Amino acid sequence: MTPGDERETREAAPNARALAATYDRIAEQFSATREYPWPEVESFLDAREGGVGLDVGCGNGRHAEPLAARVDRVVGVDVSRDLLGVARRRARERGYADALSFVRGDAAALPVADATVDVGVYVAALHHLRGRDRRVASLSELARALAPGGRALVSAWSTEHDRFDPREGDAGFDTSVDWTLPDGETVDRFYHVYHPAEFRADLEASGLRTVEAFVSSGNCYAVVAPGGSSGSDGSDDAG
Amino acid sequence: MKESLLDIICCPLDKHDLELTVEERDEEDGEIVEGLLVCTDCGEEYPIEEGIPNLLPPDMRE
Repeated sequence: MTPGDERETREAAPNARALAATYDRIAEQFSATREYPWPEVESFLDAREGGVGLDVGCGNGRHAEPLAARVDRVVGVDVSRDLLGVARRRARERGYADALSFVRGDAAALPVADATVDVGVYVAALHHLRGRDRRVASLSELARALAPGGRALVSAWSTEHDRFDPREGDAGFDTSVDWTLPDGETVDRFYHVYHPAEFRADLEASGLRTVEAFVSSGNCYAVVAPGGSSGSDGSDDAG
Repeated sequence: MKESLLDIICCPLDKHDLELTVEERDEEDGEIVEGLLVCTDCGEEYPIEEGIPNLLPPDMRE
């Protein structure tokens, strides 16, 4: 372990606690602005099916909802207790709560058993993890949880987004973005903004195998399978 | 928490199975409202709070 690794490991717990505290504070208002699933997620889910679905960083459950229509049951994992509360209420109001379970957990230490997940979404959450080791560990956790033949969609904010100035090289950067509460108070959120090449490199370094990677609406996306560089998971993605 | 969730969830630290102790069930749907999940390997305890299991690693809880 290098000194840098040690620093990142020590920062894992504060990062998770800070993230939880932030989203607990903004949960209600945040949810109100996160009503609809992203079209990229709907495209990924189109024609997929399976027994178990997983939504990592599920937030208010806006992607758990269409996922629940594709699989028998869905587990939504989030670090924020209050967002999970909002997500559960939303699921009950909209009538998909029977297929959905919520679990409070850390994306880099997923409380999901090995090889159980047929369809996963990990959308707009990876970029909140501080430190590359923690982000790669989180991707490897998703790989561990995916069943053979399982597929997941991973996304993160990209340097290609039009709010960022064009940058030299292929490195991403850390930043913080304020969320303004109704009373005018601001809460800052940590982001690692990914360069597309760096996003692919982190996937490559993890236990995931990239089936397809693309940039859309300022976000890096990848359709991934378990297996990583160690080999195939036995399924055929041709065609 | 639905009891069937035990098929999917595990200890976040060592990924072993969890053993459920029920303290309170919802009278209508039978879901677990309060209880405890204990890792069958390391013995770490995870609470079920208002129906939602808190499976954060212990050092990440507030």
